[in-house]
Amino acid sequence: MKQRFRLGVDAGGTFTDFVLAEHNGPLRLFKSPSTPDDGTRAIAAGLQQMAEALDMPVGDIIKNCDLCINGTTVALNALIELKGVKVGLLCTAGHEDSIEIRLGHKEEGYRYDASYPPAPQLVPRHLRRPVRGRVLADGSEHEALNEDDILAAIEHFRAEGVESVAISFVWSVRNPAHEQRARELVAEHLPGVFVCSGSEVYPQVREYTRTSTTIVNAYLSPVMGRYVQRIDQFFAELGAHSPVRYFQSNGGLAVGNIMRERAVNAINSGPASAPQAGLYIARPFGIDNVITVDMGGTSFDITLAKDGQTNLNRNIDFLRHRIGVPMIHVETLGAGGGSIAHINTFGMLEVGPHSAGASPGPACYGKGGERATVTDANLALGYLRPDAVLGGSIRLDQPKARAAIAANVAEPLGISVERAAYGISTLVNMNMANGIRRISIEQGYDPRDFALICAGGATGMHITALAEELGIHTVLVPKFASCLCAFGQVISDVKYNFLASAPMRLHREADLATLNRLFDDMEAKGRSHLRADGFDDGKIRVHRSLEMRYQGQIHECTVEIANGEITPDGAEQILQAFHARHEALFTYSEPHNPVELVNLECTVSGLVDKPALPNLAAGEDGVAQAHDGFRAMLFDDSGRWVETPVYRGEQLKAGNRIVGPAAIEEPTTTVIIRPGWQAVLHESGSYQLTRWAE
Amino acid sequence: MTQAHQVPAAIDPITLAVVRGALETAQREMTLTLEKTGRSSVFNLAHDYSNALFDNLPEMILQGQDIPIHLGSLIPAMKAVADYFGDDIHEGDVIYHNDPVYQGSHILDCCMYKPVFYQGELVFWAVCKGHLTDIGGPVPAGYNPDAKEIYAEGLRIPPVKLWDKGRRRDDVVNLLLCNMRARRDQEGDLNAQFGACRVGERNLLALLDKYGLATVRAAIAELKDMADRHMRSLIRSIPDGTYHGEAVLEDAGHGYGELTIRTQVTVSGDNVHISVQSPPQIPYFINSYAGNSMSGVYLGLMMFAQVPPPYNAGLYRCVSVDLGAHGTLCNAAEPAPHVNCTTTPMETLTDAVRMAFEAAAPERVTASWGHASGINIAGINPATGEQYVTMVLASIISGAGATRQMDGWHACGPLCCFGALSSGDIELLEYAYPIIIHRYGLLQDSGGAGAHRGGSGTVWEVEPRGHDMTVIAFGEGRQIPTMGAAGAHDVLIDKKLGRLEVEHDGALTVHRHNVITTLKPGQRARNINPGGGGYGLPWQRPPAQVLADLKNGLISRLAAREEYGVVIADDNLHIDDAATAALRQQLNLGAQA
Repeated sequence: MKQRFRLGVDAGGTFTDFVLAEHNGPLRLFKSPSTPDDGTRAIAAGLQQMAEALDMPVGDIIKNCDLCINGTTVALNALIELKGVKVGLLCTAGHEDSIEIRLGHKEEGYRYDASYPPAPQLVPRHLRRPVRGRVLADGSEHEALNEDDILAAIEHFRAEGVESVAISFVWSVRNPAHEQRARELVAEHLPGVFVCSGSEVYPQVREYTRTSTTIVNAYLSPVMGRYVQRIDQFFAELGAHSPVRYFQSNGGLAVGNIMRERAVNAINSGPASAPQAGLYIARPFGIDNVITVDMGGTSFDITLAKDGQTNLNRNIDFLRHRIGVPMIHVETLGAGGGSIAHINTFGMLEVGPHSAGASPGPACYGKGGERATVTDANLALGYLRPDAVLGGSIRLDQPKARAAIAANVAEPLGISVERAAYGISTLVNMNMANGIRRISIEQGYDPRDFALICAGGATGMHITALAEELGIHTVLVPKFASCLCAFGQVISDVKYNFLASAPMRLHREADLATLNRLFDDMEAKGRSHLRADGFDDGKIRVHRSLEMRYQGQIHECTVEIANGEITPDGAEQILQAFHARHEALFTYSEPHNPVELVNLECTVSGLVDKPALPNLAAGEDGVAQAHDGFRAMLFDDSGRWVETPVYRGEQLKAGNRIVGPAAIEEPTTTVIIRPGWQAVLHESGSYQLTRWAE
Repeated sequence: MTQAHQVPAAIDPITLAVVRGALETAQREMTLTLEKTGRSSVFNLAHDYSNALFDNLPEMILQGQDIPIHLGSLIPAMKAVADYFGDDIHEGDVIYHNDPVYQGSHILDCCMYKPVFYQGELVFWAVCKGHLTDIGGPVPAGYNPDAKEIYAEGLRIPPVKLWDKGRRRDDVVNLLLCNMRARRDQEGDLNAQFGACRVGERNLLALLDKYGLATVRAAIAELKDMADRHMRSLIRSIPDGTYHGEAVLEDAGHGYGELTIRTQVTVSGDNVHISVQSPPQIPYFINSYAGNSMSGVYLGLMMFAQVPPPYNAGLYRCVSVDLGAHGTLCNAAEPAPHVNCTTTPMETLTDAVRMAFEAAAPERVTASWGHASGINIAGINPATGEQYVTMVLASIISGAGATRQMDGWHACGPLCCFGALSSGDIELLEYAYPIIIHRYGLLQDSGGAGAHRGGSGTVWEVEPRGHDMTVIAFGEGRQIPTMGAAGAHDVLIDKKLGRLEVEHDGALTVHRHNVITTLKPGQRARNINPGGGGYGLPWQRPPAQVLADLKNGLISRLAAREEYGVVIADDNLHIDDAATAALRQQLNLGAQA
């Protein structure tokens, strides 16, 4: 950081969070209500707060920022609310319906549900137009492109007022010539209309995934384009000397010109900064395996980073749309503070996925909610202060929480309110733990090899219980846990992902020259983008991976490989790594059987200097000063209340040790330290929670 | 929380919910393993497999949400396999089985059973059933319409150990694989099944370590009781009495004519008895042995019950089933040929059961889903010289039935799979097999007409590359359209039906029977699957929805008028309100008369 500041602006649905990091100085957090119709108003309001706090004009702050970074839910919200633009699809004749057939599958959990609706279609059938012309699996042209079909479709699109065109032809990934020609025709005949093609957006095998990804991109990019233009202009007028960087779902930053073409790359950017933030928090502890968990009001987001590397996911269903482009692997569950506890049709207790949301909210908010929620349980268990005030305005009402738990859970099950509250807490912990298993064990990782990083305001009350459930020994809770994701954005690097496809059998004599050429091309492209962004070669990092499988399998395992030329010996090592990965994931490998590689991926990152973490003063008197009385809490289902000491986190000093059971209250988060755990405040501003010998 | 190894008086509701979650995770991870490691397209693209967990009784304690047709039959099959080995079941054993005489579904569905031991005691079974692409016999992929006996269909595997006390019996595995085409695919799928069972075992052992056997057993007993109570509450909502259903199975080429399957559902308090009468078995591959028929009956029951997960044996405790006389179509006896049975006659049996429930509880009815009318393909890949064979799951994707709440899903069937299949990406299919898929789309006017429209059926059109390809057509739904519900009524019957169209040198042949044919390069076969049944009177469908369907090409102008009584102006954009009102009144009067 050569300049004095770096600014992060995370525009969420309700609030816009601001992180102002000062070079070798403090981290300042601000918040203003979001203004979805024009995000710049919320930003202006936040900057004004900043100007007052620093006693410095807004323009001076911006001119002194090395980077202004914006995380936005514009694309996500447009997809959730189905408020993208009108899209027309040009596709290979005979395959107009793959996007609606969705591989003929109905999602699990709804097998016999007579009222579960089909997935929403972003392009109605009459706007999916057939184009004759066919490429085959080997890239050869089987039938020439029929340009009349394209022109006819263009006329239909014009008449229908289509604002964006997606082009996706079968096997364009092997030979994009037809798509390129179609793109030229659209650009020529429909000037001003956004256009993108499958071979550009997602150049990998799988027609349905590619078509769907391309459609989502076409649907969202014009919306994103308008947003980016507005934000870029806003900051330019304030004197920003480098373009605004936008946060993407792959955990990296990109400039506006990239975002307006590839909105699909930003659809799940909200939680995507969590693994980087978790790694950053963990670095002072020498830890580079982290699982970061973030419990909000309605959902619980889980991400994982192994050996300092984030974990990407591809080809997944997101909001019921198939998305191919790599995104930080985020496991999202309907488990938050507002998750409702209810008795299901079988008479069994369930928590979530439905949420009381912010309104009416949990019963204890006193805003008319009558259902028992996780927050109500936390209040009934004594984890939250009975008169706590959340978000500056909501005063909690413990009797209302107990009444809701009694009526909705305890009485129907014939158990006490205490046991019911503890049960709700246990169940939501189990749901969250199962989600963590999904992102770890199911990906071949043992959660016990990871530290659990606490993000979000509500997570701290569950974090030691979660760690116990999973056998995890180390938990880190940063003091600013509630803004960890916004912090993650300001420490992110600029990142470009490139994909290529080269199906072949891998062995010593394989066509390694082609592989090396494809990787070199991707890397060169990334380096040239980054040089244009102002990065020196010394600040550029490259990661390569291959997606591989046994011949005949369809799903690939991702194997990270070293940079540089792949030699015959290197190919052998790659094969060994693949067998080991398969065995870790699925309990067996088949070293005697041929292995295919399918896809190549190259990530080229421009390293951005990171703001420093806090450096807290040490002092042995902190514990006594911070002690703030006792509160009765429940830590098991015996109904036995434990008088538990409570500490004000702001008065604790580096090196202070708190032994559980205990609660530490920070301004925006409460940490419950269960019996058998201890917390030590580290100078970098995080509590390290570990088990201690009894 | 609950202390391990202490016998709980009654299981507490929290532990119960936790055990439920752990069982679901175990089952889910088994499914994931199969999907990710399966070798044939039927496994890894189509997901034609199912996983279940059983206790030591052995009763099903968790049925995955996988293929419905597999899961009813797993209940008796597990019992048959455990009975066969009796005391001779040991830690490290793995048992394999496909034989319908031991309650298997059809011989292509090969099932692996891994007993799970805890502290020396048999506690659970992890079970994994999957459709192998070949099981030997004279016709690739197993569907042999000329078979007069089961011996002519392929390899029967009675319960046999593939692992004996932890040691793989390579000789037995080799015996099985030597009898199958495309051996490497079959071996890969067998390994995938083994991986799935081990993953299931790993999870179950962790659960036992944490909560102890007694607690886990008590939780499982309560889970079954809960399912029982729920199903009983549904049955109790039906007035006592006997309700009748029937469905007609077309002649798919055997020459024995149409066959009628009749059912009675008798409700008495919170118990239900389902009895089936079907004609004598015939020497054609559509006979269903008892295990498979149980799946058909249970699916008809579930279409009524619409129960959310989890599923276990408790659901069926209040249900008794009589499949009719031994030696009949739905209760076949050795040596009846049977390979087509998972779709034909099973789907017709399911319809007959659902019709009886429609009479019993009209407010819960779902229209029938399109039946499977599909193809298998086989040949020698000219690029590798290797033989390939597969069932094309994309070719059996039919339309879903409409419900009281909404239109049927397009392309979600067939009935026997109820949306659990996946048809596979066309590029992955073209990469795996030497074929060109010219078309995979929805078919106009194929959804059943109703106030809620049935989902559209599909068309799948294929051409072989550089070799002669065998095309084996099986199934039905090519002569009798999918049944609607609550007054749904089709006029354009032919559009609702499945069929196989083959283009040989410009000449078009339409097959409405099972057939085996050969395509040369440049020739095409077009397999068409039926749509789902409609729900309610078609002329009560809002005209705006009819117009939207017309605009999207899901129905034709002709169907709008003939089936829905909606007259569209010549511009194809507006409804002629006066003409529509008159036509609908006329249709209504006609229906009353």
